[in-house]
Amino acid sequence: MAKRLWILAFAVVLIASGVFGCSPTPPAGDEEKPDGAEAPQFDGEILVGIMVPVTGSEATYGQDMENAMKIAADEINAAGGILGKELKFTLGDDGCDPQMCTAAASKLVSSEVVAVLGGYCSGATIPALKIYGDAKVPFIITAANSTELIKENPGWAFMINSPGYHQADAAANCFERLDVSKLAFVHQGDGFSENLAELTRDEWLSRGHEVVAYDVVNKGEQDFSSLVTKIRSSGAEGVYWTAYHADGAMLIMQLRQGGYTGEITVADGSSSVQLLEIAGAAGEGVYCTSPPVVDYLPAAQRFISAYNTKHNQEPGPYAGLAYDGTYLLADAIERAGSTDPDAIRDALAATENFETLCATITFTPENVLEKSNFMILKGEGGKWTLIE
Amino acid sequence: MKEKQTCLQSASAQTAIKRKNPLAQLIDRLYVLFDDKKVRYGVLAVAVAALIYLPINSSMYITEVMTTFWFNVVVCLGLNIIVGFAGLLSLGYAAFFAVGAYTTGILILHYGISFWLTLPVSVVMAIIAGLAIGAPTLKLRSDYLAIVTLGFGEIIRLAARNMEITGRATGLVGISRPSFFGIAMLRIDHFYYSFLVLAILAIFVSYRLQDSRLGRAWKCIREDEDAAEAMGINVVAVRLLAFIIGSVFGALAGSFMAIKMTAISPESFLFTQSVMILLAVVLGGMGKIPGVILGAFVVVIFPEVFRGIGMYRMLIFGVVLLALMIYRPQGLWPERNT
Amino acid sequence: MSLQEIVIQQLFNGLLLGSFYGLVALGYSMVYGIIRLLNFAHADIYMVGGFCSLSLLTFFGGTFIGNGWLGIIVSMFITMIIVGLLGVVIERVAYKPLREAPRLSLLISALGVSMILYNSAMVVTSGEYRPYKTGLSYEGFSIGSVFITHTQAILIVAAVILMLILHLFITRTMYGKAMRAISMDRDCCRLMGVNVNKIIALTFFVGTALAASAGMMAGVYYGSLHFYMGFVIGIKAFTAAVIGGIGIIPGAMLGGLMLGLLESFGTQIPFIGSAWKDVFSFIILILILIFKPTGLLGKKESERM
Repeated sequence: MAKRLWILAFAVVLIASGVFGCSPTPPAGDEEKPDGAEAPQFDGEILVGIMVPVTGSEATYGQDMENAMKIAADEINAAGGILGKELKFTLGDDGCDPQMCTAAASKLVSSEVVAVLGGYCSGATIPALKIYGDAKVPFIITAANSTELIKENPGWAFMINSPGYHQADAAANCFERLDVSKLAFVHQGDGFSENLAELTRDEWLSRGHEVVAYDVVNKGEQDFSSLVTKIRSSGAEGVYWTAYHADGAMLIMQLRQGGYTGEITVADGSSSVQLLEIAGAAGEGVYCTSPPVVDYLPAAQRFISAYNTKHNQEPGPYAGLAYDGTYLLADAIERAGSTDPDAIRDALAATENFETLCATITFTPENVLEKSNFMILKGEGGKWTLIE
Repeated sequence: MKEKQTCLQSASAQTAIKRKNPLAQLIDRLYVLFDDKKVRYGVLAVAVAALIYLPINSSMYITEVMTTFWFNVVVCLGLNIIVGFAGLLSLGYAAFFAVGAYTTGILILHYGISFWLTLPVSVVMAIIAGLAIGAPTLKLRSDYLAIVTLGFGEIIRLAARNMEITGRATGLVGISRPSFFGIAMLRIDHFYYSFLVLAILAIFVSYRLQDSRLGRAWKCIREDEDAAEAMGINVVAVRLLAFIIGSVFGALAGSFMAIKMTAISPESFLFTQSVMILLAVVLGGMGKIPGVILGAFVVVIFPEVFRGIGMYRMLIFGVVLLALMIYRPQGLWPERNT
Repeated sequence: MSLQEIVIQQLFNGLLLGSFYGLVALGYSMVYGIIRLLNFAHADIYMVGGFCSLSLLTFFGGTFIGNGWLGIIVSMFITMIIVGLLGVVIERVAYKPLREAPRLSLLISALGVSMILYNSAMVVTSGEYRPYKTGLSYEGFSIGSVFITHTQAILIVAAVILMLILHLFITRTMYGKAMRAISMDRDCCRLMGVNVNKIIALTFFVGTALAASAGMMAGVYYGSLHFYMGFVIGIKAFTAAVIGGIGIIPGAMLGGLMLGLLESFGTQIPFIGSAWKDVFSFIILILILIFKPTGLLGKKESERM
């Protein structure tokens, strides 16, 4: 009896995997052709993978990055493509989850992409580094910036967002300017925010200041009142929140509600204007160490209006870098003169003073930006304004 | 006795063909067909051959998904020992594969020990973890057990997040991959075969356990604890063994996961993970080994097949799950009570 | 802040958090008591309650009712009724057909409902946070450096009132008596002429409405909503219900308050802090269950699976 059934089990699994295995992989790239009658003629296509979260809690950012990349691709294609070929995308959803990320990366590799753009959550980007490295696929990381990425990079990934230590520096400068000496850190218990909190703490201590609290809020928790009391009782003059905007807004509100009157600075994960929308009056006077958000960059106005017309909304915090990454890749492939992976990688590594919306890109030997691109924003009247 | 049973069953299967439901008819016809030994072994041979051949012929993506499937088979069978065989509700199973994954990760990363030598350590840690969660909970009713296992799962995850040795929130990164008789395990198909072997081992062990004295003791305490105790079964020891063996399954799967992913973080061992494993076990049919395998398959494949519909995917999964439970509360492929 | 002030402030924080836990735990406990189900979907009901009240409040914001206290009270009533009815529907569709099925199947069915609610909310809000705008201010009163806003004080009072009403309902009315009777022996009740289905539906209505009210209070207090918001509080409230003794109404309130206090003091105490506070709470939970296997207020009871 038992044996008979287990053969049945095998049969079922087999049939199902057969059906599953035979079904064609989803068609690659579903973007519309750019409008306009005189669509250029292309000599083949260049397939590039996008790896961002389009489901899960970080879906908004992933979607935003994908939109920005498609706008860049439309512009590139309208101008004749890359090496006369059409730039096309295929999407791999990493869901901001390490396990989904490996599946998405493998999917992209088996669709034989020339290169990959994306990487939003550091935790869900690290496992992909090895996969792309093994498969020799150049990977431009347009948002994730944990220092772990630098350590784990087998040489095929290029980070165009400033890494954490650039931000730690910016944050310490910001607090010094505000005359704060006792600082409290709050992170959210994930790799990214903890990493940044640690870097900034070490930077702060090395500048001879005091750290009076170093705390964590668990993801999904809503009540921070006991933490607020702890921060108040520690005598902190400044709070640095290193995680994301939604919980950041709640923390800011509860800090103010709980009678905290010191300075608050938030990190790049919170640079969305939604933070100020949710926090309302409590968000006034909050500072932010932010990656280059297009809204404040004079060079990016054309991109913003293109984004507005196409998607009827404002581009989000990482849209600019996603757009830049696409251009950087196109430039590198042009310079490489072919889609040979080694040639593209070498061309990327050799990038020198490549002007983009957000920064001038030159890579260090570790494939990291040479110059920091962080800026300081301040919440005023429900909007971020550029301080520096 | 056994012959008589089979005889009775095939008779009942034959009468069942007269029932009207075409699906049930089909299943019953299959049952009859599988009574033939030749057919049975033939199908088995073809199935094994196909599974071995699979990575050679298919894309990396499919191999990756199937590897995840075999991983899930191992953990689901492990949980099945606790929930299905022994009838102990556990909501913190992810903790057990966290124990395995972190043990292997720490030993490789901090002490440079060979992967294969970390496996016995991982088993020992799993036994300790099984004892740790089993011992205080033996006197508890099932629902209290559920919360204690949940709490245990959270404690393990939070401890991993807070401690220096486990790499805090970032986790362990850059766990080096081992070689197997000179072959460096780098490609996905290597892991496919490792997990396949692990899964076949798990299936084999599960069957041997099910038919053993211990397996019958589990079934006994599941059905009626007091009667089991009266029959001279040492309830405490038997329950503890369920936790320990289930935990060893999970830890071994976790160890292999650590080298496959090369990076593990506390976020890989969330409560949701535990719930998904439990879901696979109950969905397939608790206590029924082929059922559990089927459950694992559904849980892995469904989200992959429906990846294209993005946000709606888990919504549809919820609807399907609900419908399945309403129309087939005993699971897709339940244990038959003889 | 002096030590005394810290203790008072944390005590207050713990009570407020604990009363949220308690309100949600009550629903877990009632449902468990009557059909022996760990209702996974309960946490999502809390979230649905939040969103439902936000829509109502936004609507009232434009009318004469406004989005101050009057608007909040009116939308709270309507939310409790709407979401309560949703609870009844869920019971009818997803749990009633499974009443005689294996208990774990019922659990998975609840999980299915939870997935549906959670993912629907995600689709509707496209995964974004929604600000919860009310007409309330941050004004409050302070004693030394202890600072309590009016909103916080009123929410605690509201939670206590709801719990009191529930307590009276369970202990003083025929319906309450029927609920308690069913939780002891369903079949016997049926024989005695109790309309079991109706009482179970009523239990779901009350339990769900309480969670919805907690969801609304959370929105008002924390100022934003998210489809994910029920997850953590769901686990915590479940824990609270078990600490107090699952199936026992005063136990859920006690468990909720206790867990709230454990967490707020856990955060403050050095060497535990925010990183270890949940570990601390869970260890206390396990210790309680080792020494009192049926929870603080639970009675001894033998079990047949």
